[in-house]
Amino acid sequence: MTRPTLSLSHVTLRYEHGITALDDVTLDVAEGERVCILGPNGSGKSTLASVLCGLLAPDEGCVMLVGELACTSVGVDFDAYRRARRRLGLVFQNPDDQIVTSVVEEDVAFGPENLGVPSEQIGERVARELHRVALDRYAQADPSRLSGGQKQRVAIAGALAMEPQVLVLDEPGALLDVRGRRGIMRVMDKLHDAGTTIIHVTHFMEEALAADRVVILDKGRLVLQGTPQKVFSHSEELVSLGLEEPFVSRLAEALQARDVTVPWTCDEDQLLDSICSVTSEAMPADGQAKRPRDQLMRAREGSYRLAGASSEDAIRADSLSYSYGDTDAREDRRPALDGISFRIPRGSMTAIVGQTGSGKSTLLRLLCALEAPDAGTLVVDGIPSNGRRQRRQLHGHVGYVMQHPERQLFAETVWEDVAYGPTNLGLPAQEIERRCHEALALVGLLGRELSSPFHLSGGQQRLCALAGILAMEPRILVLDEPTAGLDPHGRAQLRAIITDIHARGTTVIQVTHSMDDAAMAEQVIVLNEGRVLLDGSPAEVFSPSTEQTLRESGLGLPDALAWAMRLEDAGVPVGTPLSIDELADAIANLVHEEVEHGL
Amino acid sequence: MAFRISLGRYVPADSPIHRLDPRAKIVCGVALMVSVFFIQTPVQLAFGWACALALVLASRVPAGKVLESIRPVIAVLMVLSLFNLLLVTSGDTLVSFGPLRITTDGLWAAVNYSLRLVVAVIAANLILLTTTPTQLTDAFDALLAPLSRIGLPGHEIAMVFSLMLRFIPTIADEASAIVDAQTARGGALAEGSPIRRVRAVVPVIVALLASSLRHANGLSRALDARCYEGGAARGHWHPLQMHPSDWLALAVTAAYVVVLISLG
Repeated sequence: MTRPTLSLSHVTLRYEHGITALDDVTLDVAEGERVCILGPNGSGKSTLASVLCGLLAPDEGCVMLVGELACTSVGVDFDAYRRARRRLGLVFQNPDDQIVTSVVEEDVAFGPENLGVPSEQIGERVARELHRVALDRYAQADPSRLSGGQKQRVAIAGALAMEPQVLVLDEPGALLDVRGRRGIMRVMDKLHDAGTTIIHVTHFMEEALAADRVVILDKGRLVLQGTPQKVFSHSEELVSLGLEEPFVSRLAEALQARDVTVPWTCDEDQLLDSICSVTSEAMPADGQAKRPRDQLMRAREGSYRLAGASSEDAIRADSLSYSYGDTDAREDRRPALDGISFRIPRGSMTAIVGQTGSGKSTLLRLLCALEAPDAGTLVVDGIPSNGRRQRRQLHGHVGYVMQHPERQLFAETVWEDVAYGPTNLGLPAQEIERRCHEALALVGLLGRELSSPFHLSGGQQRLCALAGILAMEPRILVLDEPTAGLDPHGRAQLRAIITDIHARGTTVIQVTHSMDDAAMAEQVIVLNEGRVLLDGSPAEVFSPSTEQTLRESGLGLPDALAWAMRLEDAGVPVGTPLSIDELADAIANLVHEEVEHGL
Repeated sequence: MAFRISLGRYVPADSPIHRLDPRAKIVCGVALMVSVFFIQTPVQLAFGWACALALVLASRVPAGKVLESIRPVIAVLMVLSLFNLLLVTSGDTLVSFGPLRITTDGLWAAVNYSLRLVVAVIAANLILLTTTPTQLTDAFDALLAPLSRIGLPGHEIAMVFSLMLRFIPTIADEASAIVDAQTARGGALAEGSPIRRVRAVVPVIVALLASSLRHANGLSRALDARCYEGGAARGHWHPLQMHPSDWLALAVTAAYVVVLISLG
């Protein structure tokens, strides 16, 4: 057997306060291998990534990195670490922190300059890597003007220009939208084909499917490893760890639970074939669909319209325009919002989708009365938002959960931070206390009132920030990508809390990158270049007929619908399901109905 | 509220000013900035302004960008002018109300002091607008080399300066997001009594500090990962080299300073 490129044996690493980040981890990575590391927040993934790229030395155990014996039972060899680090690349979550200059090509050259690479070679490397990440055209651009996905690709090019033997990517897609993540995955595929060893830490199970090997960490211990097929088949264990399975295997399980005989798999094509074969067995020879596909759709639309018509509007926007004008230093002087009109019924759950730069964030700022529209009218909770006084009044009606709301935390204790909003509303002390208590109970942080918000875990910080807004008891809650950067457990927890808040009668409006989240809302508004592209129920917005429109504006379909369309192409008509359960039901119906028919 | 700071953002273009060696550019720029303090007469002021405008033209930086970078200092210059107008009492009296006297000297001082400072601001901004942060770092590095020789961290000072320029817009964006969030929680920075406003600053500053520390942590991880180890072993993609045009620029600047002073 050849020597592994990276080798950890019995590695243990403790932080101050006695937290054990890694606990007796043994891991070998072969040359050219693509390893994916999964695990809930706080499981030690990032620490493991840092150890693997030579930035952290463990307290115990042996570390061998690209042929350098860096850490043994005798001690740490800092020179070996220095040598190893020159052949290890790292890209992590926040692209803003990784870019050190304000010209793309200069930034890519930074690493090679540090390595002392001769200047004529640096030019070649910069051009080559920018081409690899498809950013040739942006060589002279200012990184702060690029989208998150493009910035992250600059960071990858910067790491690759150092020609590392191993590239470690620590949640590179956590802060990106779907399009940005897809771009990163494409780059990784290319690198893998070119023979680079890749270590990829992620919260997205779908991304793990492309790996040769999946490693699962929990509380610093390596609990499961193997091929994706093998690891994801331990579904119960995954769920107990707060992880989830990829969509494909969840669908396979949902079908099995409905007595459809398909084998468990996490391979898309395999599942597609199995579904086709079970349905074709059951279906009559002509293979015609018995149920017209839009029957289901119409039924759903009807219920939405009914609910919409019976209540008054929480928000009504008429030809709303806003542009940053000359306060904006950008060259681009297009209006951020260009005469948009829509209404949101009281008590509804609305999703706003659109790619970066579509005007989503601007719209949210207007809805939260942080800005007055340039033209048009915006009535929020019955109050027109044109005047300064009215806007101030609205701050008590509309709760605004910004992107990464944990950044707004400031107080010494969780309690004080949550009480900040209600105190500003000038409420009596008793009322403040009641509200804080209720908000903390709702997000599950009771008992942590006296902790410093900065000592909470990432997921808890977000919940604490959310509680600070809920304590103001807003009638309308506006959330900007509330689940961004969380692990599957955190995402599920936050979704449950939002559903709970909605059930209590609050109007919920959220901007989201996830089409699956959007499909769960009652109304979906699609923005593109400052205009409303589509507005309606999820069934109206996500349908085979709108697919083209959505793709053109950089968006996709919910997984279930995308699958239904693939099945349709393969001759299995399942209608237009929007959730995994609807899809599984439709397939099961097809199989069982036809079987009865055949008998 | 939005803080959109565009101070010293590099504007890519192909111009003689962009092509200058950054060391030569910085030396010329500093000479220009210091020379404005010799401006005393209208002729000198006109000459200084003419040269500044010629430089803006030669740099091919859109005039809007230059204006934008001057805007933040306008308020300061206005206050400066006002003080000069009211406090300089030599010369002929033009108007007087009670103890206040506006004199010819005061008027001239008000005009001259602020207008000549604009020349200095233009010179400083042209350096930032036409030089990449990497070039700036390299140049400061080279110019601060004597410091390194006596044991002071010349290279590190240059690097910190360049990182500061890089992070200004990031922190500014973050600041406006935090102001938004706290405003929506009823902590309005722009409303209410002065005490209320001062109190509203704390939640913004603390959150921003926490945010900056997060960035600092991330940045240090990134610098380590990219093998940044200070100046010693560092190579350069575009090594600095003085060309005849750079020497010419220095000579022209020297001539300008001499002419400017002799006009006085």
